[in-house]
Amino acid sequence: MQRLIGGVLILASTCGAGYMYCQELKSYLGKLRYLRYIFSLIRGEINYSCVPLPEVLSQVAERVKDPYGKWLSETAYSAKGRADSGFARIWNKCTEQYLKPLRLREEHSILIKEAGTFLGCLEKDTLDHTLQMYLNRMDLEIEKQREGLASKTRIGSCLGVMSGLFLIVLLL
Amino acid sequence: MERRDCRKQIVCILAKNIRAAVQDGAAPGEQLQEIRIRSGQPLRAIFDGREKILPGIGKPHIVTKEEVRETMDYISHYSLYAFSNEMKQGFLTIEGGHRVGVAGKVIVEQGKIKNIRYVSSVNIRVSHEVTGCADRVIPYISKDGCICHTLIISPPGCGKTTMIRDLIRQISDGNQYVKGCSVGVVDERSELGGCYMGVPQNQLGERTDILDCCPKAEGMNMLIRSMSPAVIAVDEIGTYEDIRSVEYAMMCGCKLIASVHGLDMDEASRKPVLGDLIRKRLFERYVVMGGERPGTIRGIYDERGSVLCRG
Repeated sequence: MQRLIGGVLILASTCGAGYMYCQELKSYLGKLRYLRYIFSLIRGEINYSCVPLPEVLSQVAERVKDPYGKWLSETAYSAKGRADSGFARIWNKCTEQYLKPLRLREEHSILIKEAGTFLGCLEKDTLDHTLQMYLNRMDLEIEKQREGLASKTRIGSCLGVMSGLFLIVLLL
Repeated sequence: MERRDCRKQIVCILAKNIRAAVQDGAAPGEQLQEIRIRSGQPLRAIFDGREKILPGIGKPHIVTKEEVRETMDYISHYSLYAFSNEMKQGFLTIEGGHRVGVAGKVIVEQGKIKNIRYVSSVNIRVSHEVTGCADRVIPYISKDGCICHTLIISPPGCGKTTMIRDLIRQISDGNQYVKGCSVGVVDERSELGGCYMGVPQNQLGERTDILDCCPKAEGMNMLIRSMSPAVIAVDEIGTYEDIRSVEYAMMCGCKLIASVHGLDMDEASRKPVLGDLIRKRLFERYVVMGGERPGTIRGIYDERGSVLCRG
Protein backbone atom coordinates (compact mmCIF):
# COMPACT_ATOMS: atom_id res chain seq x y z
CA MET A 1 0.00 0.00 0.00
CA GLN A 2 2.84 2.35 1.00
CA ARG A 3 4.58 1.62 -2.28
CA LEU A 4 1.44 2.42 -4.19
CA ILE A 5 0.98 5.72 -2.36
CA GLY A 6 4.68 6.54 -2.86
CA GLY A 7 4.42 5.75 -6.55
CA VAL A 8 1.33 7.90 -6.95
CA LEU A 9 3.03 10.76 -5.14
CA ILE A 10 6.15 10.54 -7.33
CA LEU A 11 4.03 10.46 -10.45
CA ALA A 12 1.96 13.40 -9.24
CA SER A 13 5.04 15.47 -8.45
CA THR A 14 6.80 14.81 -11.75
CA CYS A 15 3.58 15.50 -13.66
CA GLY A 16 3.25 18.71 -11.60
CA ALA A 17 6.80 19.69 -12.53
CA GLY A 18 5.99 19.08 -16.19
CA TYR A 19 2.81 21.13 -15.87
CA MET A 20 4.73 23.96 -14.16
CA TYR A 21 7.25 23.96 -16.99
CA CYS A 22 4.44 24.29 -19.53
CA GLN A 23 2.84 27.10 -17.53
CA GLU A 24 6.15 28.92 -17.35
CA LEU A 25 6.49 28.72 -21.12
CA LYS A 26 2.98 30.10 -21.54
CA SER A 27 3.60 32.87 -19.04
CA TYR A 28 6.85 33.82 -20.82
CA LEU A 29 4.91 34.14 -24.04
CA GLY A 30 2.38 36.28 -22.18
CA LYS A 31 5.18 38.59 -20.99
CA LEU A 32 6.45 39.06 -24.54
CA ARG A 33 2.93 39.78 -25.73
CA TYR A 34 2.45 42.31 -22.96
CA LEU A 35 5.73 44.03 -23.86
CA ARG A 36 4.59 44.19 -27.46
CA TYR A 37 1.32 45.71 -26.26
CA ILE A 38 3.28 48.34 -24.30
CA PHE A 39 5.32 49.30 -27.36
CA SER A 40 2.18 49.60 -29.43
CA LEU A 41 0.76 51.93 -26.74
CA ILE A 42 3.95 54.00 -26.84
CA ARG A 43 3.73 54.23 -30.62
CA GLY A 44 0.07 55.24 -30.47
CA GLU A 45 0.72 57.85 -27.80
CA ILE A 46 3.62 59.39 -29.76
CA ASN A 47 1.53 59.53 -32.92
CA TYR A 48 -1.57 60.88 -31.24
CA SER A 49 -0.26 63.39 -28.73
CA CYS A 50 3.27 64.03 -30.04
CA VAL A 51 4.42 64.99 -26.56
CA PRO A 52 7.95 64.41 -25.23
CA LEU A 53 8.97 60.91 -24.15
CA PRO A 54 8.70 61.42 -20.37
CA GLU A 55 5.07 62.39 -20.86
CA VAL A 56 4.42 59.48 -23.24
CA LEU A 57 5.98 56.96 -20.85
CA SER A 58 4.11 58.35 -17.83
CA GLN A 59 0.81 58.11 -19.67
CA VAL A 60 1.46 54.55 -20.80
CA ALA A 61 2.70 53.64 -17.30
CA GLU A 62 -0.72 54.52 -15.90
CA ARG A 63 -2.37 52.03 -18.23
CA VAL A 64 -0.19 48.99 -17.62
CA LYS A 65 0.34 46.69 -14.68
CA ASP A 66 3.46 46.39 -12.53
CA PRO A 67 6.36 45.78 -12.92
CA TYR A 68 5.90 47.30 -16.41
CA GLY A 69 4.18 50.39 -15.02
CA LYS A 70 6.95 50.94 -12.50
CA TRP A 71 9.57 50.43 -15.24
CA LEU A 72 7.98 53.04 -17.49
CA SER A 73 7.25 55.56 -14.76
CA GLU A 74 10.81 55.35 -13.43
CA THR A 75 12.20 55.74 -16.95
CA ALA A 76 9.93 58.77 -17.44
CA TYR A 77 11.07 60.21 -14.12
CA SER A 78 14.76 59.79 -15.00
CA ALA A 79 14.26 61.26 -18.47
CA LYS A 80 12.36 64.22 -17.03
CA GLY A 81 15.17 64.84 -14.58
CA ARG A 82 17.70 64.55 -17.44
CA ALA A 83 19.51 61.90 -15.44
CA ASP A 84 21.96 60.89 -18.14
CA SER A 85 23.53 62.26 -21.28
CA GLY A 86 21.58 59.98 -23.59
CA PHE A 87 18.14 58.41 -23.47
CA ALA A 88 19.57 55.00 -24.40
CA ARG A 89 21.53 54.89 -21.14
CA ILE A 90 18.51 55.80 -19.04
CA TRP A 91 16.42 53.18 -20.86
CA ASN A 92 19.10 50.50 -20.39
CA LYS A 93 19.52 51.21 -16.70
CA CYS A 94 15.79 51.19 -16.00
CA THR A 95 15.20 48.08 -18.11
CA GLU A 96 17.91 46.20 -16.23
CA GLN A 97 16.65 47.37 -12.89
CA TYR A 98 12.89 47.15 -13.21
CA LEU A 99 12.38 44.31 -15.68
CA LYS A 100 14.68 41.98 -13.76
CA PRO A 101 11.76 40.10 -12.13
CA LEU A 102 10.55 39.08 -15.62
CA ARG A 103 13.73 37.01 -16.08
CA LEU A 104 13.81 37.67 -19.80
CA ARG A 105 16.18 35.66 -21.94
CA GLU A 106 19.34 37.40 -23.09
CA GLU A 107 18.11 37.88 -26.68
CA HIS A 108 14.80 39.34 -25.53
CA SER A 109 16.47 41.58 -22.99
CA ILE A 110 18.71 42.94 -25.78
CA LEU A 111 15.64 43.42 -27.98
CA ILE A 112 13.91 45.51 -25.30
CA LYS A 113 17.04 47.56 -24.62
CA GLU A 114 17.44 48.23 -28.33
CA ALA A 115 14.31 50.38 -28.28
CA GLY A 116 16.21 52.98 -26.25
CA THR A 117 18.60 53.60 -29.14
CA PHE A 118 15.93 55.01 -31.44
CA LEU A 119 13.16 56.26 -29.16
CA GLY A 120 13.41 60.01 -29.00
CA CYS A 121 16.28 60.65 -31.34
CA LEU A 122 14.40 60.35 -34.63
CA GLU A 123 11.95 62.72 -36.24
CA LYS A 124 8.29 61.79 -36.05
CA ASP A 125 7.72 59.92 -39.32
CA THR A 126 10.96 58.00 -39.11
CA LEU A 127 10.29 57.15 -35.49
CA ASP A 128 6.86 55.84 -36.43
CA HIS A 129 8.30 53.61 -39.17
CA THR A 130 11.07 52.40 -36.89
CA LEU A 131 8.59 51.58 -34.15
CA GLN A 132 6.45 49.70 -36.67
CA MET A 133 9.47 47.67 -37.75
CA TYR A 134 10.34 47.07 -34.13
CA LEU A 135 6.81 45.81 -33.44
CA ASN A 136 7.13 43.50 -36.46
CA ARG A 137 10.32 42.08 -34.98
CA MET A 138 8.55 41.54 -31.67
CA ASP A 139 5.74 39.80 -33.54
CA LEU A 140 8.32 37.51 -35.10
CA GLU A 141 9.83 36.71 -31.71
CA ILE A 142 6.38 36.02 -30.28
CA GLU A 143 5.55 33.83 -33.26
CA LYS A 144 8.76 31.87 -32.76
CA GLN A 145 7.91 31.34 -29.11
CA ARG A 146 4.34 30.40 -29.93
CA GLU A 147 5.40 27.88 -32.59
CA GLY A 148 7.72 26.10 -30.19
CA LEU A 149 5.19 26.26 -27.39
CA ALA A 150 2.89 23.41 -28.50
CA SER A 151 5.66 20.90 -29.00
CA LYS A 152 7.46 21.99 -25.83
CA THR A 153 4.23 21.68 -23.84
CA ARG A 154 3.70 18.18 -25.17
CA ILE A 155 7.28 17.23 -24.42
CA GLY A 156 7.01 18.79 -20.96
CA SER A 157 3.88 16.79 -20.04
CA CYS A 158 5.26 13.55 -21.53
CA LEU A 159 8.57 13.99 -19.75
CA GLY A 160 6.72 14.63 -16.52
CA VAL A 161 4.81 11.34 -16.79
CA MET A 162 7.76 9.39 -18.18
CA SER A 163 10.23 10.57 -15.57
CA GLY A 164 7.69 9.77 -12.88
CA LEU A 165 7.24 6.23 -14.19
CA PHE A 166 10.98 5.87 -14.55
CA LEU A 167 11.55 6.92 -10.96
CA ILE A 168 8.85 4.55 -9.72
CA VAL A 169 10.43 1.65 -11.57
CA LEU A 170 13.85 2.67 -10.27
CA LEU A 171 12.70 2.91 -6.68
CA LEU A 172 10.65 -0.29 -6.76
CA MET B 1 2.32 82.08 -10.51
CA GLU B 2 5.40 80.69 -8.89
CA ARG B 3 8.53 82.11 -10.43
CA ARG B 4 11.41 79.68 -10.37
CA ASP B 5 15.06 80.42 -10.39
CA CYS B 6 15.84 81.26 -14.02
CA ARG B 7 19.49 80.30 -13.85
CA LYS B 8 18.60 76.90 -12.42
CA GLN B 9 16.13 76.30 -15.27
CA ILE B 10 18.76 77.24 -17.83
CA VAL B 11 21.63 75.33 -16.25
CA CYS B 12 19.75 72.04 -16.19
CA ILE B 13 19.36 72.04 -20.00
CA LEU B 14 23.07 72.47 -20.66
CA ALA B 15 25.53 69.68 -21.41
CA LYS B 16 27.46 68.78 -18.27
CA ASN B 17 30.74 70.47 -19.32
CA ILE B 18 28.95 73.62 -20.47
CA ARG B 19 26.99 73.64 -17.23
CA ALA B 20 30.23 73.71 -15.25
CA ALA B 21 31.67 76.48 -17.46
CA VAL B 22 28.56 78.65 -17.02
CA GLN B 23 28.55 78.13 -13.28
CA ASP B 24 32.27 78.93 -13.02
CA GLY B 25 32.05 81.91 -15.34
CA ALA B 26 29.25 83.73 -13.54
CA ALA B 27 30.14 86.14 -10.79
CA PRO B 28 27.78 86.14 -7.79
CA GLY B 29 24.70 88.28 -8.35
CA GLU B 30 25.25 88.63 -12.10
CA GLN B 31 22.13 88.21 -14.19
CA LEU B 32 22.38 85.71 -17.01
CA GLN B 33 20.74 86.98 -20.20
CA GLU B 34 21.95 84.80 -23.01
CA ILE B 35 24.16 81.80 -23.75
CA ARG B 36 25.58 81.16 -27.21
CA ILE B 37 26.73 77.63 -27.93
CA ARG B 38 28.43 77.16 -31.30
CA SER B 39 30.08 73.92 -32.28
CA GLY B 40 33.87 74.35 -32.45
CA GLN B 41 33.74 77.90 -31.05
CA PRO B 42 34.30 79.33 -27.58
CA LEU B 43 31.31 79.30 -25.28
CA ARG B 44 29.89 82.79 -24.82
CA ALA B 45 27.35 84.19 -22.41
CA ILE B 46 25.89 87.59 -21.74
CA PHE B 47 25.64 88.65 -18.12
CA ASP B 48 24.10 92.05 -17.31
CA GLY B 49 24.50 93.18 -20.93
CA ARG B 50 28.20 92.24 -21.15
CA GLU B 51 29.48 89.35 -23.24
CA LYS B 52 31.91 86.93 -21.62
CA ILE B 53 33.89 84.04 -23.08
CA LEU B 54 33.43 81.30 -20.53
CA PRO B 55 36.48 79.48 -19.22
CA GLY B 56 37.33 75.80 -19.55
CA ILE B 57 40.41 74.29 -17.96
CA GLY B 58 43.04 77.01 -18.26
CA LYS B 59 41.66 78.38 -21.56
CA PRO B 60 38.27 79.25 -23.09
CA HIS B 61 35.85 76.38 -23.25
CA ILE B 62 35.51 75.22 -26.85
CA VAL B 63 32.13 73.68 -27.53
CA THR B 64 32.16 70.21 -29.10
CA LYS B 65 29.57 68.63 -31.40
CA GLU B 66 28.78 66.14 -28.65
CA GLU B 67 28.02 68.93 -26.20
CA VAL B 68 25.64 70.54 -28.68
CA ARG B 69 23.91 67.18 -29.17
CA GLU B 70 23.73 66.59 -25.42
CA THR B 71 22.29 70.07 -24.89
CA MET B 72 19.66 69.46 -27.58
CA ASP B 73 18.79 66.16 -25.91
CA TYR B 74 18.25 67.90 -22.59
CA ILE B 75 16.34 70.79 -24.15
CA SER B 76 13.93 68.44 -25.90
CA HIS B 77 13.75 65.91 -23.05
CA TYR B 78 15.29 63.40 -25.48
CA SER B 79 12.31 63.94 -27.78
CA LEU B 80 13.21 66.04 -30.80
CA TYR B 81 10.22 64.59 -32.68
CA ALA B 82 7.90 66.44 -30.29
CA PHE B 83 9.40 69.80 -31.23
CA SER B 84 9.57 69.46 -35.01
CA ASN B 85 6.97 72.22 -35.55
CA GLU B 86 8.96 74.60 -33.38
CA MET B 87 12.23 73.52 -35.00
CA LYS B 88 10.78 74.50 -38.36
CA GLN B 89 10.52 78.04 -37.07
CA GLY B 90 14.06 77.88 -35.72
CA PHE B 91 13.30 78.10 -32.04
CA LEU B 92 11.69 76.25 -29.19
CA THR B 93 10.43 77.37 -25.84
CA ILE B 94 11.49 75.59 -22.70
CA GLU B 95 10.12 75.48 -19.18
CA GLY B 96 10.26 78.98 -17.76
CA GLY B 97 9.41 80.55 -21.12
CA HIS B 98 13.06 80.78 -22.15
CA ARG B 99 13.67 80.88 -25.87
CA VAL B 100 16.12 78.49 -27.52
CA GLY B 101 17.11 79.42 -31.07
CA VAL B 102 18.77 76.76 -33.19
CA ALA B 103 20.74 76.76 -36.42
CA GLY B 104 22.16 73.92 -38.44
CA LYS B 105 21.38 72.00 -41.60
CA VAL B 106 17.91 72.91 -42.78
CA ILE B 107 15.91 70.14 -44.42
CA VAL B 108 13.69 71.48 -47.17
CA GLU B 109 10.90 69.50 -48.81
CA GLN B 110 8.95 70.90 -51.75
CA GLY B 111 10.25 74.36 -51.04
CA LYS B 112 9.17 74.33 -47.41
CA ILE B 113 11.33 73.94 -44.32
CA LYS B 114 10.72 70.52 -42.85
CA ASN B 115 13.18 70.39 -39.98
CA ILE B 116 16.65 71.31 -38.79
CA ARG B 117 19.18 68.49 -38.44
CA TYR B 118 22.79 68.58 -37.36
CA VAL B 119 22.22 71.48 -35.01
CA SER B 120 25.48 73.43 -34.81
CA SER B 121 24.45 76.56 -32.92
CA VAL B 122 22.17 77.03 -29.97
CA ASN B 123 21.23 80.41 -28.58
CA ILE B 124 19.50 80.37 -25.21
CA ARG B 125 17.78 83.62 -24.28
CA VAL B 126 16.60 83.96 -20.72
CA SER B 127 13.01 85.09 -20.52
CA HIS B 128 12.49 88.28 -18.60
CA GLU B 129 9.30 90.02 -17.63
CA VAL B 130 9.10 93.62 -16.57
CA THR B 131 6.14 93.54 -14.25
CA GLY B 132 4.57 96.96 -14.03
CA CYS B 133 6.06 98.37 -17.26
CA ALA B 134 2.50 99.13 -18.46
CA ASP B 135 1.60 101.13 -15.35
CA ARG B 136 2.15 104.42 -17.21
CA VAL B 137 0.05 103.36 -20.18
CA ILE B 138 -3.01 101.86 -18.54
CA PRO B 139 -4.64 105.15 -17.40
CA TYR B 140 -4.55 106.48 -20.97
CA ILE B 141 -5.90 103.41 -22.73
CA SER B 142 -8.83 102.80 -20.37
CA LYS B 143 -12.16 104.56 -20.23
CA ASP B 144 -14.87 104.02 -17.59
CA GLY B 145 -13.22 100.84 -16.34
CA CYS B 146 -12.99 99.37 -19.84
CA ILE B 147 -10.02 99.06 -22.11
CA CYS B 148 -9.94 100.87 -25.50
CA HIS B 149 -8.95 99.32 -28.84
CA THR B 150 -5.21 99.92 -28.66
CA LEU B 151 -2.41 99.64 -31.17
CA ILE B 152 1.18 99.60 -29.94
CA ILE B 153 3.59 100.90 -32.57
CA SER B 154 7.27 100.25 -32.06
CA PRO B 155 10.45 99.38 -33.94
CA PRO B 156 11.88 95.90 -33.20
CA GLY B 157 13.64 95.53 -29.87
CA CYS B 158 11.96 98.45 -28.13
CA GLY B 159 9.91 96.41 -25.69
CA LYS B 160 6.48 96.15 -27.29
CA THR B 161 6.10 92.44 -26.48
CA THR B 162 7.07 93.07 -22.86
CA MET B 163 4.61 95.97 -22.77
CA ILE B 164 1.74 93.96 -24.28
CA ARG B 165 2.46 91.11 -21.85
CA ASP B 166 2.17 93.40 -18.85
CA LEU B 167 -0.97 95.00 -20.30
CA ILE B 168 -2.55 91.55 -20.61
CA ARG B 169 -1.68 90.76 -17.00
CA GLN B 170 -3.11 94.02 -15.67
CA ILE B 171 -6.30 93.85 -17.75
CA SER B 172 -6.85 90.23 -16.78
CA ASP B 173 -6.30 90.77 -13.07
CA GLY B 174 -7.93 94.20 -13.01
CA ASN B 175 -6.76 97.32 -11.22
CA GLN B 176 -7.99 100.81 -10.33
CA TYR B 177 -8.31 101.78 -14.00
CA VAL B 178 -9.75 98.68 -15.54
CA LYS B 179 -12.13 96.02 -14.28
CA GLY B 180 -10.62 92.52 -14.48
CA CYS B 181 -12.01 90.69 -17.50
CA SER B 182 -11.32 87.63 -19.62
CA VAL B 183 -8.47 88.14 -22.06
CA GLY B 184 -7.85 85.90 -25.05
CA VAL B 185 -4.28 85.79 -26.27
CA VAL B 186 -3.17 84.44 -29.64
CA ASP B 187 0.51 83.73 -29.17
CA GLU B 188 1.79 82.63 -32.56
CA ARG B 189 5.47 82.56 -31.59
CA SER B 190 5.11 81.74 -27.88
CA GLU B 191 6.55 85.13 -27.04
CA LEU B 192 3.79 86.48 -24.86
CA GLY B 193 3.07 83.50 -22.66
CA GLY B 194 6.31 81.60 -23.16
CA CYS B 195 4.17 78.48 -22.97
CA TYR B 196 5.75 75.17 -22.13
CA MET B 197 3.47 72.25 -22.94
CA GLY B 198 0.49 74.59 -23.18
CA VAL B 199 1.04 76.24 -19.81
CA PRO B 200 2.08 79.92 -19.83
CA GLN B 201 5.33 80.44 -18.00
CA ASN B 202 4.96 84.22 -17.90
CA GLN B 203 2.44 86.00 -15.75
CA LEU B 204 -0.54 86.72 -17.98
CA GLY B 205 -3.17 87.16 -15.30
CA GLU B 206 -5.85 84.97 -13.84
CA ARG B 207 -8.52 85.52 -16.49
CA THR B 208 -6.34 84.84 -19.52
CA ASP B 209 -6.88 82.11 -22.09
CA ILE B 210 -4.02 81.50 -24.44
CA LEU B 211 -3.78 79.84 -27.85
CA ASP B 212 -0.15 78.91 -28.11
CA CYS B 213 1.64 78.53 -31.47
CA CYS B 214 -1.60 79.36 -33.27
CA PRO B 215 -1.71 81.52 -36.41
CA LYS B 216 -3.11 84.91 -35.42
CA ALA B 217 -5.95 85.17 -37.93
CA GLU B 218 -7.41 81.71 -37.18
CA GLY B 219 -6.68 82.10 -33.47
CA MET B 220 -8.68 85.30 -33.09
CA ASN B 221 -11.70 83.72 -34.79
CA MET B 222 -11.36 80.60 -32.64
CA LEU B 223 -11.21 82.64 -29.44
CA ILE B 224 -14.28 84.69 -30.35
CA ARG B 225 -16.26 81.52 -31.05
CA SER B 226 -15.04 79.43 -28.16
CA MET B 227 -13.90 81.56 -25.22
CA SER B 228 -15.97 84.77 -25.52
CA PRO B 229 -13.15 87.05 -24.43
CA ALA B 230 -13.76 90.67 -23.50
CA VAL B 231 -10.31 91.60 -24.77
CA ILE B 232 -8.16 89.96 -27.41
CA ALA B 233 -4.41 90.52 -27.48
CA VAL B 234 -2.07 89.76 -30.38
CA ASP B 235 1.53 90.62 -31.02
CA GLU B 236 3.01 91.82 -34.31
CA ILE B 237 0.10 91.90 -36.70
CA GLY B 238 1.27 92.20 -40.28
CA THR B 239 -0.43 90.10 -42.91
CA TYR B 240 -3.68 90.92 -44.69
CA GLU B 241 -5.42 88.03 -42.91
CA ASP B 242 -4.22 89.24 -39.49
CA ILE B 243 -5.59 92.72 -40.05
CA ARG B 244 -8.91 91.48 -41.45
CA SER B 245 -9.28 89.28 -38.36
CA VAL B 246 -8.45 92.24 -36.12
CA GLU B 247 -11.22 94.23 -37.82
CA TYR B 248 -13.63 91.30 -37.46
CA ALA B 249 -12.78 90.95 -33.76
CA MET B 250 -13.43 94.66 -33.23
CA MET B 251 -16.85 94.24 -34.83
CA CYS B 252 -17.68 91.34 -32.52
CA GLY B 253 -17.75 93.39 -29.36
CA CYS B 254 -14.25 92.46 -28.23
CA LYS B 255 -11.70 95.07 -27.33
CA LEU B 256 -8.44 94.61 -29.12
CA ILE B 257 -4.84 95.14 -28.13
CA ALA B 258 -2.34 94.63 -30.90
CA SER B 259 1.16 95.62 -31.76
CA VAL B 260 2.82 96.42 -35.04
CA HIS B 261 6.32 97.27 -36.21
CA GLY B 262 6.73 100.91 -37.08
CA LEU B 263 8.45 104.14 -36.14
CA ASP B 264 5.41 106.30 -35.54
CA MET B 265 1.73 106.75 -36.39
CA ASP B 266 2.47 108.13 -39.86
CA GLU B 267 4.47 105.08 -40.78
CA ALA B 268 1.79 102.76 -39.39
CA SER B 269 -0.95 104.57 -41.31
CA ARG B 270 1.01 104.14 -44.56
CA LYS B 271 0.87 100.35 -44.21
CA PRO B 272 -1.43 98.90 -46.90
CA VAL B 273 -4.29 97.32 -44.93
CA LEU B 274 -3.59 98.55 -41.42
CA GLY B 275 -3.70 102.11 -42.75
CA ASP B 276 -7.39 101.64 -43.63
CA LEU B 277 -8.21 100.67 -40.03
CA ILE B 278 -6.33 103.72 -38.73
CA ARG B 279 -8.11 106.02 -41.18
CA LYS B 280 -11.46 104.47 -40.21
CA ARG B 281 -10.50 105.35 -36.60
CA LEU B 282 -11.17 101.85 -35.41
CA PHE B 283 -8.29 102.00 -32.94
CA GLU B 284 -9.09 104.31 -30.07
CA ARG B 285 -5.57 104.59 -28.68
CA TYR B 286 -2.05 104.42 -30.11
CA VAL B 287 0.99 103.83 -27.95
CA VAL B 288 4.20 104.74 -29.79
CA MET B 289 7.37 103.28 -28.36
CA GLY B 290 11.01 103.78 -29.28
CA GLY B 291 14.20 105.33 -28.09
CA GLU B 292 17.55 104.17 -26.88
CA ARG B 293 16.30 102.21 -23.91
CA PRO B 294 13.77 99.41 -24.36
CA GLY B 295 10.39 100.28 -22.90
CA THR B 296 10.58 104.02 -23.66
CA ILE B 297 7.17 105.48 -24.53
CA ARG B 298 7.36 108.29 -27.07
CA GLY B 299 3.71 109.17 -27.00
CA ILE B 300 0.13 108.03 -26.51
CA TYR B 301 -2.48 109.26 -28.99
CA ASP B 302 -6.24 109.02 -29.36
CA GLU B 303 -8.17 107.97 -32.49
CA ARG B 304 -7.81 111.41 -34.07
CA GLY B 305 -4.09 111.45 -33.45
CA SER B 306 -4.29 114.01 -30.64
CA VAL B 307 -1.55 113.65 -28.06
CA LEU B 308 -2.70 112.31 -24.71
CA CYS B 309 0.74 111.88 -23.23
CA ARG B 310 4.27 112.53 -24.37
CA GLY B 311 7.29 110.49 -23.33
